Amino acid sequence: MGTRPEMTSAQHGDSNSSSRKMDLLVGYLLLIGVALSLAQIAVGLCWNFLRTGHFWIDYQLGGTNLFEFTLAEFCATAAGNLSPRTLVDGGVAVLMLTPYLRVFASMLYFMFALKNWKYSLFTAIVLGILTFSLFLR
Amino acid sequence: MVSYYVLFPVSVLAGFVGAMSGMGGGIILIPALTLLGVDIKHAIAISILSVIATSSGSASAYVRDHITNLKVGMFLEMFTILGALAGAAITLASSPRPLYIAFGLVLLGSWIALLVVGDDESWHAGPQDSISRWLELEGSYYDSSAGRVIHYRARRAYLGAPLMFGAGVIAGLLGIGAGAVKVLIHDLVMGLPPKVSTTTSNLIIGVTALAGTSVYLVHGLIHPGLAAPVVVGIVIGAILGTRTLVRLSNKSVRKFFLIVLIILAVEMIVRGIRG
Repeated sequence: MGTRPEMTSAQHGDSNSSSRKMDLLVGYLLLIGVALSLAQIAVGLCWNFLRTGHFWIDYQLGGTNLFEFTLAEFCATAAGNLSPRTLVDGGVAVLMLTPYLRVFASMLYFMFALKNWKYSLFTAIVLGILTFSLFLR
Repeated sequence: MVSYYVLFPVSVLAGFVGAMSGMGGGIILIPALTLLGVDIKHAIAISILSVIATSSGSASAYVRDHITNLKVGMFLEMFTILGALAGAAITLASSPRPLYIAFGLVLLGSWIALLVVGDDESWHAGPQDSISRWLELEGSYYDSSAGRVIHYRARRAYLGAPLMFGAGVIAGLLGIGAGAVKVLIHDLVMGLPPKVSTTTSNLIIGVTALAGTSVYLVHGLIHPGLAAPVVVGIVIGAILGTRTLVRLSNKSVRKFFLIVLIILAVEMIVRGIRG
């Protein structure tokens, strides 16, 4: 039932261990991204509650793409203008960047560690379409 | 304005039921948000953002367990993200009524999928075509219940790819992971073992949801005040749901979810027709 005992050569062993390293890299990247994002959002909401007595943060995000949004958040934080809103926004930005960085890391891995041109190209196409969509206005 | 004291528990519940059923939180979240008075387009936008969190969270564990097939994932993502961009664009141009009806129909489809989806025992390897071989769509994983390594080769990538574009359209259009559709394509069309198809679909969902979210973000449909408690709540619910799943039998979860799905499907279609 679907067993294939021939995959035992040294070459296969090498590519297998590289693939496993890639699994770990991608897995931890996703975990850290989601955890960081949720922590930022949760701290932002609690901070807002302590400041105002309620959780509700009322504002709209419009006419901005992820890169502009992330840059604005980064500048505000660097300038010391940290507020519940910058934390919640930062959480949303980190959440959206997580799968993006996962694709980016996969592309580098396919290119330099596995040297698999076919999948480097496929991953680059995915990254290209995503980058285009994140630059939309 | 919906109170956080209602929004947060509803999101936890949506994440809980979504994880228990394997269908994802969006399928419960969107009808619930619209019942709470949130406009359906805002509900779709918030749901698709929360889908990034739930799918990336669970994908992280599956990828580290070496069950997910990254090559199958990367290949199919090229098609799903294009679909998601198209789907989100259709939602922006559409009026709310067709969205309610489309959502109801997808719920009905998921209901049927839940009835017919196979299990690990019914899976068997089939011959691989030359395109799928060129695409290196194969792999192996350790199956703890069978106690051995399972090797597999995916097939019919030429059919899987356009079908995954369609799954991406549904995801972007309705703000859901559309995991049921993706799993069906992996299972029935590409012949992947169920464990590989579920976990690989999870990985694909995160990137597909990101493409959809980018469109909604630019058009001002992501309201951080609404999104914040939903994202946190749905992930907490999903973690609780995954833990409970181990204790409940598959049969009772399935029965419960079949009832929930059919009620939500009829409710959404009726709302779409009545306007």
